[in-house]
Amino acid sequence: MAFVSSLALLAALLVAVPYAAHRLRRRRAEDQPFPPARLVAPLPQQTRRPSRLEDRALFASRAVAVAALAVLGATPLIRCSRLSVQRNGGASVALALVVDDSMSMRVAFAGDNGLSRLERARQGARQLLASAREGDAIAVVLAGAPARVSLAPTTDLGAAQQAIDGIVASDRSTDLEGALALARGVVSSLPQVDRRIVLLSDLADGHPDGPPLDDPGEGGGGAPVPVWIALPELRGDSTDCALLRADRRGIRVHVTVACGPGKSAAGRDVVVEDASGKALGRGSIGHGSSGEVTVLLPSDDAVPDRARLTGTDAIASDDVAPVVAEARRGAIAVVADTSGETVATGGAPIVEQALASLRADVDLRPIPAPPDRAADFADYLGVLLDDPPGLTPEQRHAFAGFLERGGVALVALGSRAAAAPLGASLDPILSRASAWVPVDRSAGADLGSAVGPLVGSVQSLADLGAERRATLDPDDARAFERLVNWTDGAPLVARRTMGRGEAWIVTLPFSVDASDLPLRPAFLAMLEGWLQVARQRATPRRSDVGTPWKFAGAGDVRVVGPQGDVSSIRDDGVARVTPSLVGRYRIAVDGQDEARVAAPDERELDLRPRPYSPAAAGARASGSRASVDASGEVALVLLGLMALEMGLRLWSRGRDGADSLAMARSDEA
Amino acid sequence: MTVLAQELWSELTPLRIRARQVAQGIYAGAHRSALRGAGVEFGGYREYVPGDDLRWLDRRSWMRHQHLLVRQFETETDRTLCLIVDASASMGFRGPGAPATKMAFASLLAAALARIALRGGDPVSLAYLAGRAAEPVGRSSGREQFERVVASLDAAKPDGDARVDRGMVDRAVAWLDRSARRGAIVVVLSDLIDLPEDAADRLSGLVSGGRVVVVVQTLSPAEADFPFEGPIRLRSLEGDTVVETDAEGARDRYLAAMAALAAKWHDAVVARGARFVRAKTTDSPARVLRDIVRAVR
Repeated sequence: MAFVSSLALLAALLVAVPYAAHRLRRRRAEDQPFPPARLVAPLPQQTRRPSRLEDRALFASRAVAVAALAVLGATPLIRCSRLSVQRNGGASVALALVVDDSMSMRVAFAGDNGLSRLERARQGARQLLASAREGDAIAVVLAGAPARVSLAPTTDLGAAQQAIDGIVASDRSTDLEGALALARGVVSSLPQVDRRIVLLSDLADGHPDGPPLDDPGEGGGGAPVPVWIALPELRGDSTDCALLRADRRGIRVHVTVACGPGKSAAGRDVVVEDASGKALGRGSIGHGSSGEVTVLLPSDDAVPDRARLTGTDAIASDDVAPVVAEARRGAIAVVADTSGETVATGGAPIVEQALASLRADVDLRPIPAPPDRAADFADYLGVLLDDPPGLTPEQRHAFAGFLERGGVALVALGSRAAAAPLGASLDPILSRASAWVPVDRSAGADLGSAVGPLVGSVQSLADLGAERRATLDPDDARAFERLVNWTDGAPLVARRTMGRGEAWIVTLPFSVDASDLPLRPAFLAMLEGWLQVARQRATPRRSDVGTPWKFAGAGDVRVVGPQGDVSSIRDDGVARVTPSLVGRYRIAVDGQDEARVAAPDERELDLRPRPYSPAAAGARASGSRASVDASGEVALVLLGLMALEMGLRLWSRGRDGADSLAMARSDEA
Repeated sequence: MTVLAQELWSELTPLRIRARQVAQGIYAGAHRSALRGAGVEFGGYREYVPGDDLRWLDRRSWMRHQHLLVRQFETETDRTLCLIVDASASMGFRGPGAPATKMAFASLLAAALARIALRGGDPVSLAYLAGRAAEPVGRSSGREQFERVVASLDAAKPDGDARVDRGMVDRAVAWLDRSARRGAIVVVLSDLIDLPEDAADRLSGLVSGGRVVVVVQTLSPAEADFPFEGPIRLRSLEGDTVVETDAEGARDRYLAAMAALAAKWHDAVVARGARFVRAKTTDSPARVLRDIVRAVR
């Protein structure tokens, strides 16, 4: 604060003058007739005559006037705690408000009772909006994972206000870098020269050791976009523990407890309750920041609904987890017959080894033949068939149901597929039998036809060294979306949507006898892309909050979350729902009910803030200072106070006159 | 009728009408023993007081018990009502919460008493302690006498300083000695404030003449309760007393002093055989009147 401001504010000490004047003013007691006055003992006045109402009002008026004068002398030199945008030369600004709506923002704000960090952040955003003027462009970006644009840049301040009002607390993890990147992207294309990003966050994104966040980056035209951490007071470490999962296995409920780094839930208990809140079992938590607690249920018939962590911590919403029947890891079924291989690779079939090398979080289950019952497909995310000799009618029926419900298949076509016995076919993936035809050994993929996961590695498919390849019936070929073609235009890798699932075909088997395909990098890229689709299509029953659930091929999707209905959005015809709150979700997909659980992200339990440079936390943003010129308002207040004092004096005088008249009339009577 | 209308009624209604209303329903009763003293029928003994006629001293009692007793006799005669109204300046005090001044209240009681006496055929006289335009009314009876008493009370204004005019009580007593016969009823209406120190003895001494003396202390509620708060500056209406004090601190001492004043008067007049009645201007005039009549009996 400037010396002049301090000096001006010191003038507020003059408020002691009217105070002393009012305190020292001694009102003479009024003369009252009283015949037996001689019977009254004269006493020193132990108590002063109490100040009358108008005295107090006058004093208050004068004191406030002195204080207002001091503020008037100091403004606009003083910095107010109210956030505002100060523009350079009065020009319009482009402002991206990055509001953190992650779970850590639920923590109570240390500076104000009963106010959460998110509410304080919204207050700050509103204050900034209040200082915006016509011509300013405002964008709102939310930093809860996944980072998203809540409001595209607009000069409609009312819409911005609505967007700020519409921000609600969530249990998402934090994606500050993604949010800042989004914010830079949205403001960089705006015509305003003065572009800024205002970050309203507690900076607790689980990376306390990460690089500072206020890297200006490159805006449009190479101009850096400064990041202003407007409310650094939101930061603050705290203790938070959460229940990550609660799985029931028989009469046991296994509850996973996690706390922030260096924190412990020791001394707290895990209570498993039924839907009515009745405790069914209890387990104690040992020392350490994380661990598993096993709670015994009274019987197999017990119906646990939720596990609850006793005691309190910084965030209450993650202290409860729904109990679900144990959700296993997703599995991939691999049907590969290596009996005809002439090249000894050792160990598992090469496709299994390739899948294992991807270190995907899935189980690989080699099975001799595709299941012929629909229930046997229940545990699989995807089924890989390496040159299958067709499918029996039972297998086809079960396979069709699997694809219909969201399963993903990868079928490599080779000689066995082409020579399927009568009655065995690859329906419903292929309506006609494929053919196994010779091909020039130098034939390879059309490098320009690659799309999707093969784009980056298609170079490795230029020469596949195959002597034969599978060809599809033209009708079948048209039904597939090509991922990469042979040089003659025939599909090499293609895919088609079937129900809620998806089927991929490769016109070469996964055998080094048939081609060099399994030895090429593109083979791993293809498998990885297929696995990703498999995971997306079959979202596990429990996932991190904020991770979208996709329902490809679903017509009607209705989701009811912990706080009521959750709306779904369609992206390229695929319904997508993003759970923003921790808890149980009941989902109806085309009339079929299922339950999913959104669990907190363990990183969000780390409430330690990410570092930043002091310059970004100051009241400066792109050389501007957050200050409020309140001179006009203060002057108006001062004027009002003067009018008030005059009114009080007149009223006081009128009242004294009325009292005197009444006394005179009394004496006369 | 609203409270305001009642106050207007009491302010605007002539004293004679208000006195009649107050006196309505109150009777002194047949006073067979109107006068004790010289008579034909023995009426009992009482203690001798200086001034008693020595002819009625009971010698046998003196010789046997060493007690000075006076024999009393009853006679069928009228009982003159002698009213003494204090019209000094202090009686003009009204004070907060009082419906009227003490003088107005005393005048109302006096007029009502006169009404009762005249209705019973007894003569009435009226005298004042101090006062401006306060003309005494000589002993007489009849309807005109009531009008004369009321007219005099209406005309009298509170004035005079008892602390300066020390002889006002003596003049009233002398006037009574001359006008009041034995057996007369003397009613003194005063606030008893600022009266001379010997006023109690002088007024109660009227009993020695065979009279019935009733002293009615009339105070305003402010004088009786001292309702003030905080620092106050009080000025007496007689004398130049000005007191600055703290109301809360002085209240208890004042009430004690006022109680001592009343006790002093009570003891003084009761010791002489007189009666003492206390009243506040907020009291019902009819109730005070009954108290006075009861004291006379």
